[in-house]
Amino acid sequence: MELAVEVAGVKLANPVILASGTAGYGIELSSLVDLSRVGALVLKSVTLEPRKGNPEPRVWETAAGMLNSIGLENVGVQALIADIIPALEGLGTPVFASIAGDTVRSYARLAARIQGAGGVDALEVNVSCPNVEKGGIQFGVDPGATSAIVMSVKENCDLPVFVKLTAAVADISRIAVAAQKAGADGLTLINTIPGLAIDPATRTPRLGGVIGGLSGPAIKPVALKAIWECYEATGLPIIGGGGICDTGDVLEFLIAGASAVSVGTALFRDPGRVLDIIDELPGAIERAGARSAGELTGTLTETSR
Amino acid sequence: MADIASPTRGVTCAATLERREEASPGVFILEFRLDGGPPVAQPVPGQFYQFNCGGGREHMLPRPLSVHGVTRWDDEVAVLKFLVESVGWGTERLCSLEDGDEVGLLGPLGRGFSLAEDGKALLVAGGMGIAPLFFLASEMDRGDKEYDLLAGFRSAGQFYRPLSGLKGGVDVYTDDGSLGNRGMVSGGADGRLEGVVYNAVYTCGPQAMMTVVAGISEEAGVPCQVSLASRMGCGIGACRSCVIEGRGAENLCVCSDGPVFESYKVAWTGAGDIE
Repeated sequence: MELAVEVAGVKLANPVILASGTAGYGIELSSLVDLSRVGALVLKSVTLEPRKGNPEPRVWETAAGMLNSIGLENVGVQALIADIIPALEGLGTPVFASIAGDTVRSYARLAARIQGAGGVDALEVNVSCPNVEKGGIQFGVDPGATSAIVMSVKENCDLPVFVKLTAAVADISRIAVAAQKAGADGLTLINTIPGLAIDPATRTPRLGGVIGGLSGPAIKPVALKAIWECYEATGLPIIGGGGICDTGDVLEFLIAGASAVSVGTALFRDPGRVLDIIDELPGAIERAGARSAGELTGTLTETSR
Repeated sequence: MADIASPTRGVTCAATLERREEASPGVFILEFRLDGGPPVAQPVPGQFYQFNCGGGREHMLPRPLSVHGVTRWDDEVAVLKFLVESVGWGTERLCSLEDGDEVGLLGPLGRGFSLAEDGKALLVAGGMGIAPLFFLASEMDRGDKEYDLLAGFRSAGQFYRPLSGLKGGVDVYTDDGSLGNRGMVSGGADGRLEGVVYNAVYTCGPQAMMTVVAGISEEAGVPCQVSLASRMGCGIGACRSCVIEGRGAENLCVCSDGPVFESYKVAWTGAGDIE
């Protein structure tokens, strides 16, 4: 059974990736999960300067998912380059850095810094964080802003560039096409969806940042639709994620059009889940009548049973 | 004084419920046997485990619970004790487990209390804050260390009966005066620190109580360790959900930098509360 896939020139031993934000900088998980066995590691998004993030509480469990309002707390690109990327050398799996800015220029500078430092295999451009006052999702809902960011990133680095989009738009394929025309090598779909949880006793929000990003199985159908539409519209390699808990979910994401998948929220309850999925994937692919992971990508048949 | 007990590398394992006992209405002592025998690290007071309560796709987050005691830990068998108040889906589920039921555990996690070498300690517990502090007191009993324990409850009905078996001096406070002293346990701590010479204060309980205890300890010049709670995600410092503000305005992660902190490291403005 062939599990290996190639996404925008990045060779993955298997298609199961750790999603940005949920795996920290990898180091935190390394004693619990043999990271050399995962398809790739996507690091937590960094900004030009370190950020403290949003007020606590920052997480709230909701039906079949959770809301988070971390607010892009991160160590900043300097610490990423100086401390984290060197610590991940020899990890044995591709590392994606994720960048988030509040101006087009800041994305360009982040890309240039990371390109210059080396040590990562690809760049994920986060234009879809719902938890920041400036930038984030405001860029990702706007094809023009997305396009400008992608162009500036591509001008400043030679790494494969994946653009992480939000599904909180009327037509995600428009944004995806804009990213593609600007030079994106791939897409990461989807970021968390903006949401709100309320404590009725106090009539206050459950989260310190008021709104948060919804993740987990609750958003899986939204993610699948976004992947299917973007695959049809662009044909770009897609890293798909949103509530993946088991191999059945992985198959759905591949069939919708993903070449690789990312696991996030499911790690919280069981960090080893990602390795279970990888172990069980060959059997699941075989039962689905395919000989490789790649063979399933984009095979949705548009007739219902 | 030694550094606050360093974090250990937690491991995931299945655990089987061996014993369940209702300690007071809605509060249960749960004893779990770790399947496959004891892992490398034995928990110290103040450390916690993440419980996978088996919520399927409906409940995605684990529930962090402070260790309440080590019932047995030898070459073959590890049995851990937790004190759990049924307050939501996860804790309700745990409190209604039957003997032989399985859960998933990840731990021990975080930094626990570190015991001062000698002298007398003051332990101040509010409500469910008794969970780690009873464990700490039991360990101090085993090491023949001197301490007084002040424990606050809403009323006599919430009193935690095993407290009577501790060797240290135990003083009880209730909000309604139905048992022991009437009033806040933090008030009791204030009086104690004026009179007796303590070399350390260890506290866990509601945020407001810990803020007061940390303040009076600092005024009295006695080092104080606090065990904080916060809404957690991963439990290992990766997701940055459970941060509180440190005194240098830096972010402290309750799960991995704590949950036990030296009180002077905490800003005491937005720190998490026990519910």
